[in-house]
Amino acid sequence: MMKKRFNPIKDRSSEIVAFLMASPDMPKDEDVRFKIELSIEEAVENVVRYAYEGGIGWLEAGTSLDDKSLLLTIELRDAGMPFNPLEMDDPDVTLGANERPVGGLGIYLCKQMMDNIEYHYKDGNNILTMKKLVNPEKV
Amino acid sequence: MDITINKLEQKTYVVLDGRVDSTNADQFQKDVAPLMEGENLDIDIDCTNMTYTSSQGLRVFLLLQKSLMSRNGKMVLRNMNPRVKEVFDITGFSNIITIV
Repeated sequence: MMKKRFNPIKDRSSEIVAFLMASPDMPKDEDVRFKIELSIEEAVENVVRYAYEGGIGWLEAGTSLDDKSLLLTIELRDAGMPFNPLEMDDPDVTLGANERPVGGLGIYLCKQMMDNIEYHYKDGNNILTMKKLVNPEKV
Repeated sequence: MDITINKLEQKTYVVLDGRVDSTNADQFQKDVAPLMEGENLDIDIDCTNMTYTSSQGLRVFLLLQKSLMSRNGKMVLRNMNPRVKEVFDITGFSNIITIV
Protein backbone atom coordinates (compact mmCIF):
# COMPACT_ATOMS: atom_id res chain seq x y z
CA MET A 1 0.00 0.00 0.00
CA MET A 2 1.33 3.41 -0.87
CA LYS A 3 -0.44 6.71 -0.63
CA LYS A 4 0.19 10.40 -0.72
CA ARG A 5 -1.80 13.45 0.21
CA PHE A 6 -1.66 16.27 -2.31
CA ASN A 7 -2.48 19.68 -0.90
CA PRO A 8 -3.38 21.90 -2.63
CA ILE A 9 -4.53 20.12 -5.79
CA LYS A 10 -5.37 22.94 -8.16
CA ASP A 11 -3.81 22.26 -11.60
CA ARG A 12 -2.00 19.17 -10.28
CA SER A 13 -3.97 16.37 -11.99
CA SER A 14 -1.09 15.17 -14.12
CA GLU A 15 1.27 15.07 -11.13
CA ILE A 16 -1.26 13.01 -9.15
CA VAL A 17 -1.80 10.64 -12.09
CA ALA A 18 1.98 10.27 -12.51
CA PHE A 19 2.42 9.48 -8.80
CA LEU A 20 -0.14 6.67 -8.99
CA MET A 21 1.18 5.28 -12.28
CA ALA A 22 4.70 5.10 -10.77
CA SER A 23 3.48 2.90 -7.91
CA PRO A 24 5.15 -0.53 -7.67
CA ASP A 25 1.62 -1.96 -7.43
CA MET A 26 0.93 -1.07 -11.06
CA PRO A 27 1.10 -3.79 -13.71
CA LYS A 28 3.68 -3.58 -16.49
CA ASP A 29 1.38 -4.59 -19.34
CA GLU A 30 0.94 -1.49 -21.50
CA ASP A 31 -2.64 -2.24 -22.55
CA VAL A 32 -3.77 -2.59 -18.94
CA ARG A 33 -1.75 0.45 -17.89
CA PHE A 34 -3.49 2.53 -20.56
CA LYS A 35 -6.91 1.63 -19.13
CA ILE A 36 -5.82 2.28 -15.56
CA GLU A 37 -4.19 5.61 -16.42
CA LEU A 38 -7.26 6.79 -18.29
CA SER A 39 -9.54 5.86 -15.39
CA ILE A 40 -7.27 7.55 -12.86
CA GLU A 41 -7.03 10.70 -14.94
CA GLU A 42 -10.80 10.97 -15.33
CA ALA A 43 -11.46 10.38 -11.62
CA VAL A 44 -8.67 12.71 -10.42
CA GLU A 45 -9.68 15.43 -12.85
CA ASN A 46 -13.22 15.26 -11.46
CA VAL A 47 -11.95 15.96 -7.95
CA VAL A 48 -9.47 18.64 -9.01
CA ARG A 49 -12.08 20.50 -11.04
CA TYR A 50 -15.22 20.13 -9.02
CA ALA A 51 -14.70 18.91 -5.45
CA TYR A 52 -13.53 22.17 -3.92
CA GLU A 53 -14.64 25.67 -4.59
CA GLY A 54 -11.74 27.46 -6.25
CA GLY A 55 -9.78 24.21 -6.31
CA ILE A 56 -8.40 24.76 -2.81
CA GLY A 57 -8.28 21.46 -0.97
CA TRP A 58 -6.55 18.12 -0.72
CA LEU A 59 -6.72 14.77 -2.40
CA GLU A 60 -5.24 11.58 -1.01
CA ALA A 61 -4.30 9.06 -3.68
CA GLY A 62 -3.22 5.51 -2.98
CA THR A 63 -2.71 2.09 -4.51
CA SER A 64 -2.64 -1.41 -3.08
CA LEU A 65 -2.36 -4.93 -4.38
CA ASP A 66 -3.94 -8.02 -2.81
CA ASP A 67 -1.79 -10.86 -1.43
CA LYS A 68 -1.88 -12.80 -4.67
CA SER A 69 -1.05 -9.73 -6.76
CA LEU A 70 -4.21 -10.27 -8.74
CA LEU A 71 -6.31 -7.30 -7.78
CA LEU A 72 -5.14 -3.70 -7.93
CA THR A 73 -7.01 -1.15 -5.84
CA ILE A 74 -6.79 2.60 -6.38
CA GLU A 75 -8.29 4.83 -3.74
CA LEU A 76 -9.00 8.53 -4.04
CA ARG A 77 -10.14 10.48 -1.01
CA ASP A 78 -11.09 14.13 -0.70
CA ALA A 79 -12.94 16.39 1.72
CA GLY A 80 -14.79 18.37 -0.91
CA MET A 81 -18.49 18.59 -1.61
CA PRO A 82 -20.21 15.24 -1.14
CA PHE A 83 -20.54 13.88 -4.65
CA ASN A 84 -21.20 10.35 -5.85
CA PRO A 85 -20.03 10.21 -9.48
CA LEU A 86 -21.55 6.74 -9.86
CA GLU A 87 -25.02 8.20 -9.49
CA MET A 88 -24.67 10.16 -12.71
CA ASP A 89 -26.62 8.74 -15.64
CA ASP A 90 -24.52 6.95 -18.25
CA PRO A 91 -24.37 8.84 -21.54
CA ASP A 92 -26.42 7.50 -24.44
CA VAL A 93 -23.56 6.21 -26.62
CA THR A 94 -25.92 5.42 -29.50
CA LEU A 95 -26.79 9.05 -30.27
CA GLY A 96 -25.57 10.71 -33.48
CA ALA A 97 -22.97 13.50 -33.46
CA ASN A 98 -25.57 16.27 -33.62
CA GLU A 99 -27.52 14.88 -30.69
CA ARG A 100 -24.50 14.04 -28.51
CA PRO A 101 -23.94 16.49 -25.66
CA VAL A 102 -20.33 17.64 -25.29
CA GLY A 103 -18.76 16.12 -22.19
CA GLY A 104 -20.00 13.73 -19.51
CA LEU A 105 -17.88 10.78 -20.65
CA GLY A 106 -15.19 10.69 -17.97
CA ILE A 107 -16.85 8.58 -15.30
CA TYR A 108 -18.45 6.38 -17.95
CA LEU A 109 -14.95 5.58 -19.24
CA CYS A 110 -13.81 4.69 -15.70
CA LYS A 111 -16.74 2.33 -15.32
CA GLN A 112 -15.91 0.63 -18.61
CA MET A 113 -12.15 0.42 -18.09
CA MET A 114 -12.10 -0.76 -14.46
CA ASP A 115 -13.55 -4.00 -13.09
CA ASN A 116 -15.22 -2.45 -10.09
CA ILE A 117 -15.85 1.07 -8.77
CA GLU A 118 -17.34 1.96 -5.42
CA TYR A 119 -18.13 5.24 -3.77
CA HIS A 120 -18.51 5.89 -0.05
CA TYR A 121 -18.97 9.04 1.96
CA LYS A 122 -17.39 8.69 5.37
CA ASP A 123 -16.21 11.11 8.07
CA GLY A 124 -16.73 14.04 5.71
CA ASN A 125 -14.68 12.43 2.94
CA ASN A 126 -15.57 11.30 -0.57
CA ILE A 127 -13.90 7.92 -1.09
CA LEU A 128 -13.73 6.48 -4.58
CA THR A 129 -12.31 2.97 -4.87
CA MET A 130 -11.48 1.55 -8.29
CA LYS A 131 -10.38 -2.05 -8.75
CA LYS A 132 -8.74 -3.79 -11.68
CA LEU A 133 -7.82 -7.44 -12.12
CA VAL A 134 -4.21 -7.68 -13.21
CA ASN A 135 -2.28 -10.60 -14.60
CA PRO A 136 0.54 -11.47 -12.19
CA GLU A 137 2.47 -13.09 -15.07
CA LYS A 138 2.93 -9.67 -16.56
CA VAL A 139 3.48 -7.69 -13.37
CA MET B 1 0.87 16.88 -28.08
CA ASP B 2 2.21 18.29 -31.33
CA ILE B 3 -0.14 19.19 -34.13
CA THR B 4 0.75 19.88 -37.75
CA ILE B 5 -1.81 21.45 -40.07
CA ASN B 6 -1.16 21.52 -43.78
CA LYS B 7 -3.64 22.78 -46.31
CA LEU B 8 -3.26 21.48 -49.85
CA GLU B 9 -5.82 22.78 -52.32
CA GLN B 10 -9.24 21.78 -50.94
CA LYS B 11 -8.01 19.32 -48.37
CA THR B 12 -6.68 19.96 -44.88
CA TYR B 13 -4.16 17.45 -43.54
CA VAL B 14 -3.59 17.25 -39.81
CA VAL B 15 -0.96 15.14 -38.04
CA LEU B 16 -1.31 14.51 -34.29
CA ASP B 17 1.70 13.43 -32.28
CA GLY B 18 1.58 12.56 -28.59
CA ARG B 19 -1.04 12.58 -25.86
CA VAL B 20 -4.26 14.52 -25.44
CA ASP B 21 -5.03 14.78 -21.75
CA SER B 22 -6.22 17.22 -19.11
CA THR B 23 -2.98 19.19 -19.32
CA ASN B 24 -3.26 20.08 -22.99
CA ALA B 25 -6.85 19.53 -24.15
CA ASP B 26 -7.65 23.25 -23.93
CA GLN B 27 -4.64 24.04 -26.11
CA PHE B 28 -5.62 21.25 -28.50
CA GLN B 29 -9.03 22.85 -28.85
CA LYS B 30 -7.42 26.23 -29.60
CA ASP B 31 -5.07 24.61 -32.12
CA VAL B 32 -7.92 23.04 -34.09
CA ALA B 33 -10.26 26.03 -33.79
CA PRO B 34 -9.27 27.29 -37.29
CA LEU B 35 -10.52 23.97 -38.69
CA MET B 36 -14.00 24.70 -37.34
CA GLU B 37 -14.50 27.58 -39.72
CA GLY B 38 -13.90 28.82 -43.25
CA GLU B 39 -12.85 26.64 -46.12
CA ASN B 40 -11.76 23.65 -44.07
CA LEU B 41 -14.44 21.22 -45.20
CA ASP B 42 -12.40 18.14 -45.99
CA ILE B 43 -10.16 17.18 -43.08
CA ASP B 44 -7.82 14.23 -42.93
CA ILE B 45 -6.29 13.55 -39.51
CA ASP B 46 -3.33 11.19 -39.17
CA CYS B 47 -3.55 9.60 -35.71
CA THR B 48 -0.62 7.19 -36.11
CA ASN B 49 1.34 8.81 -33.30
CA MET B 50 -1.53 9.86 -31.03
CA THR B 51 -0.73 7.65 -28.06
CA TYR B 52 -3.49 8.60 -25.62
CA THR B 53 -6.70 10.52 -25.27
CA SER B 54 -8.88 11.22 -22.26
CA SER B 55 -12.50 12.35 -22.35
CA GLN B 56 -11.21 15.89 -22.75
CA GLY B 57 -9.65 14.96 -26.07
CA LEU B 58 -12.83 13.20 -27.16
CA ARG B 59 -14.68 16.41 -26.44
CA VAL B 60 -12.57 18.27 -29.01
CA PHE B 61 -13.09 15.58 -31.67
CA LEU B 62 -16.85 15.80 -31.10
CA LEU B 63 -16.78 19.59 -31.46
CA LEU B 64 -14.86 19.20 -34.74
CA GLN B 65 -17.32 16.62 -36.04
CA LYS B 66 -20.33 18.75 -35.10
CA SER B 67 -18.77 21.76 -36.80
CA LEU B 68 -18.07 19.87 -40.02
CA MET B 69 -21.55 18.35 -40.14
CA SER B 70 -23.15 21.76 -39.72
CA ARG B 71 -21.09 23.03 -42.70
CA ASN B 72 -21.59 19.92 -44.88
CA GLY B 73 -17.94 19.03 -44.51
CA LYS B 74 -16.24 15.77 -43.65
CA MET B 75 -13.49 14.48 -41.41
CA VAL B 76 -11.54 11.23 -41.41
CA LEU B 77 -9.31 9.94 -38.59
CA ARG B 78 -6.62 7.68 -39.93
CA ASN B 79 -4.52 4.86 -38.52
CA MET B 80 -5.52 5.13 -34.87
CA ASN B 81 -3.65 2.89 -32.43
CA PRO B 82 -5.81 0.10 -30.96
CA ARG B 83 -5.78 1.46 -27.40
CA VAL B 84 -7.01 4.86 -28.50
CA LYS B 85 -9.50 3.22 -30.85
CA GLU B 86 -11.00 1.34 -27.92
CA VAL B 87 -11.76 4.66 -26.20
CA PHE B 88 -13.61 5.77 -29.35
CA ASP B 89 -15.42 2.41 -29.51
CA ILE B 90 -16.55 2.36 -25.87
CA THR B 91 -17.98 5.86 -26.06
CA GLY B 92 -19.78 5.24 -29.35
CA PHE B 93 -17.57 7.83 -31.07
CA SER B 94 -16.55 5.22 -33.67
CA ASN B 95 -20.13 5.37 -34.93
CA ILE B 96 -20.29 9.14 -35.29
CA ILE B 97 -16.74 9.85 -36.49
CA THR B 98 -15.19 8.20 -39.54
CA ILE B 99 -12.15 6.16 -38.53
CA VAL B 100 -10.20 4.32 -41.22
